[in-house]
Amino acid sequence: MHHNKAVEIKNLNYKYPDGTMALSGIDLIIEHGETVAILGPNGAGKSTLILHLNGIIRGNGEVKIFGLPVNGRTLKEIRRRVGLVFQDPDDQLFCPTVFEDVAFGPVNMGFTKEEIIAKVNKALASVEMKGFDKRPAHHLSFGQKKRVAIATVLSMEPDMLVLDEPTSNLDPRGKGKIIKILKSFPVTKVVVTHNLDEAAKLCKRAIIMDEGKIVADDATEKILSNELILKKHGLF
Amino acid sequence: MKHFFIDKYSEVKSPIRNLDARAKVIIFFALILLCVTTPPKAFLVFGGYYLILVTILIISRIPFVFILKRTAVAIPFIIMIAAFIPFIEGGAGGSYNLWGVTLYQRGVLILFNVTVKALFGVAAVTLLVSTTPFDELMEGLKKLGVPKVFITIASFMYRYIFVVVDEVMRMKRARDSRNFEGKWIWQAGAIGHMVATLFLRSYERGERVYSAMLSRGYDGEVKSLSEHSISQKDIMLTIFIVSTAILLHLSYVFVKLFAGG
Repeated sequence: MHHNKAVEIKNLNYKYPDGTMALSGIDLIIEHGETVAILGPNGAGKSTLILHLNGIIRGNGEVKIFGLPVNGRTLKEIRRRVGLVFQDPDDQLFCPTVFEDVAFGPVNMGFTKEEIIAKVNKALASVEMKGFDKRPAHHLSFGQKKRVAIATVLSMEPDMLVLDEPTSNLDPRGKGKIIKILKSFPVTKVVVTHNLDEAAKLCKRAIIMDEGKIVADDATEKILSNELILKKHGLF
Repeated sequence: MKHFFIDKYSEVKSPIRNLDARAKVIIFFALILLCVTTPPKAFLVFGGYYLILVTILIISRIPFVFILKRTAVAIPFIIMIAAFIPFIEGGAGGSYNLWGVTLYQRGVLILFNVTVKALFGVAAVTLLVSTTPFDELMEGLKKLGVPKVFITIASFMYRYIFVVVDEVMRMKRARDSRNFEGKWIWQAGAIGHMVATLFLRSYERGERVYSAMLSRGYDGEVKSLSEHSISQKDIMLTIFIVSTAILLHLSYVFVKLFAGG
């Protein structure tokens, strides 16, 4: 398995139901253990691209995750190995209590009760939300919701974390906390963000997307020091 | 934003709060069922039901005024439906004359009956919800055999009602910040737009939530861990309260039987 790449995308195209091209000709390879920031202006197709990483959207082209082609038979395995965290924690947290939300993935994967409780406790501890398991999501602050949202995928022990704007709308302290937490997980990470500082702190590699295409792909510090390209794509 | 939660007092520690949700659902629904099936003239029996309810209320340590206020919500509905009945002529029994207005005995009895039963029902449900956190209530209903789809719908509704209310408040603020007064007929359109926007946003959120569910291996069935098991003590208490209420219900029949010969 080790020779398999975490993500292997060849010539991926995706058209919205209304006909606009959201992704055109995407080629992308992400190795095991890489940390990749996806930068780009609003409407560049960043979110659409990450929805392909666990088969929520399936466009035209070849998408392989951990060597598995995305199709009906591999979907379950892929979704276990790819933890996708949505931007709005109110979308991610839909259960009556925090415990049930964090347990949702493991329960669907069919673990025993003891295993599930252990996984939930471990996931909540790693986002510094231990002891909040009985709380309903609507009693949490925004920062707490964001962290619990991350815990809901950590409980599935994914090999790759995919995060859509993990620190958006947070105050600097909340941002710092999330970045610290994310840095502590040694898995493959794909982070969609507008925040260049966050990209620099979290990711070694950065990709810029614009109008559904990958327009730059390099080491993060190189991308961030290239003022010209940042300006051209509305990032600076 | 601050919200008013229906299970506001559900963290108040009391023997009633600790009672298994199933036991509470059975107790309160049995009480309501017995109350509404009691003949209208059994005044003392109604007194008995209220006594049981007040006893539970005292044990539960929920503020009396809170339950009273919540129960009062039913009064406008009762007035709308039944307040005029005493003035309708007909039925057995006599009539009273109050300052030139005629009230008919049968109608008064109907009004009394509707009021007593409606208020009892609302008070009982309020007490049930106030002593049970919402998730436990859902769990209890599920274990009592309520179809999963109802439980899922109710849980989602409860989870997202606050999100939607927040959205409405934000929209209202944004609207009022632009000097919307809402008193002219041509401004009604704005409210229509708000409703439509809210619908679209909720619909889109529904799609995103569904994606989030799929991402964590949802396959069409909401599974859950069941933790609570009902204790012997809870069962005994349920049997005690429900059988007291049943005896109360039957007592009227017995009294009539003996009195009537």
